[in-house]
Amino acid sequence: MEEWIQVLIRTIILFIITFILVRLMGKRNIARLSPFPVVSYIVIAVLTALISINLINIAFGLVALGVWAILPIAMEYLEIKSKWFHDLVSGKETVLIKHGKIMEESLLQTRLTGEDLLRELRAKNAFSMADVEFAVMESTGEINVFMKSDKKPVTAHDLGIKTAPLAEPQTVVLDGNILNEPLASLGLNKEWLGIELEKMGVSLDNVFLAQVDSFGDLYVDLFDDAIILPQPQVKELLYANFEKIHADLTTYSMETQNEQAKEMYSRNAEKVKQLLEKLKPYLLR
Amino acid sequence: MTVASQVKQTLATLKGSQATLRIYSEQIRNNESAAVFHDALDKTRDIVNDLEKRAQALELQEPQYRGN
Repeated sequence: MEEWIQVLIRTIILFIITFILVRLMGKRNIARLSPFPVVSYIVIAVLTALISINLINIAFGLVALGVWAILPIAMEYLEIKSKWFHDLVSGKETVLIKHGKIMEESLLQTRLTGEDLLRELRAKNAFSMADVEFAVMESTGEINVFMKSDKKPVTAHDLGIKTAPLAEPQTVVLDGNILNEPLASLGLNKEWLGIELEKMGVSLDNVFLAQVDSFGDLYVDLFDDAIILPQPQVKELLYANFEKIHADLTTYSMETQNEQAKEMYSRNAEKVKQLLEKLKPYLLR
Repeated sequence: MTVASQVKQTLATLKGSQATLRIYSEQIRNNESAAVFHDALDKTRDIVNDLEKRAQALELQEPQYRGN
């Protein structure tokens, strides 16, 4: 057989083997790996390249390739089982800033200069050292920052506002194709989607993306951006309706001469008011 | 507009809102939220009953405007 055909066949087979090996080694982001797994990826890549152009004997090469693929997998299993082994292999996180004070020994230990630390802090939006309470270098080398409690972004919880619990929105149309699985998981079907789109006055082939939110409302993005769609305002309208009902009932309770009816109107006005309080987080936010 | 027809109009708005609440209480995917909407639905039912009774009583008092 001619040599180039051998290289061709060997390369194709190696391509498939390496692909399977890398998939077996997991789907962790390569930028977030601790240093050692990166080494095994590089060794596998180099070995594959050398075998495919016949610089190493194929049998020896495959043995080495197998060991470099299987050992990292075995090590990951051991790391899950044993905390001690995990700390040995992946290393522990290092505290760089504690109680707002930089730990100089930690900087030395992680071989980080002051500029490096400041750059990493700025990347986390901490431009002023005075705002930082705690910072830690993870075993992957990434630096995470915990801000002082008065410098943290305000949450609804801080303001004491009640918000409605939401489920994640589901994408039901992508690139003009109906995605049946998410639609079925919502307990909806194509007919429902058809009716909703008809209500908006758009056809399916003009829809690039459609999502159903937690309330079952449909959000649509069209291919034709010149068309402006009315955004669903049903919830706001519902809230306004209840406000109107509350106002009506209050008026009636003042106008009527009948004592019994007066009592009934004001009792129900109070009920509607309670209802408004309760529904506000769901309908307005 | 007579008092009876005013009350009836409020009743109609209330019933419309009730229908919207019912749709949401069925569509919503979070159990906690669904419970809130179901609860609201029950409350509106009581109010609708009270208002319907009042509307009937008013019609009896103003028979000349019946059906308006």
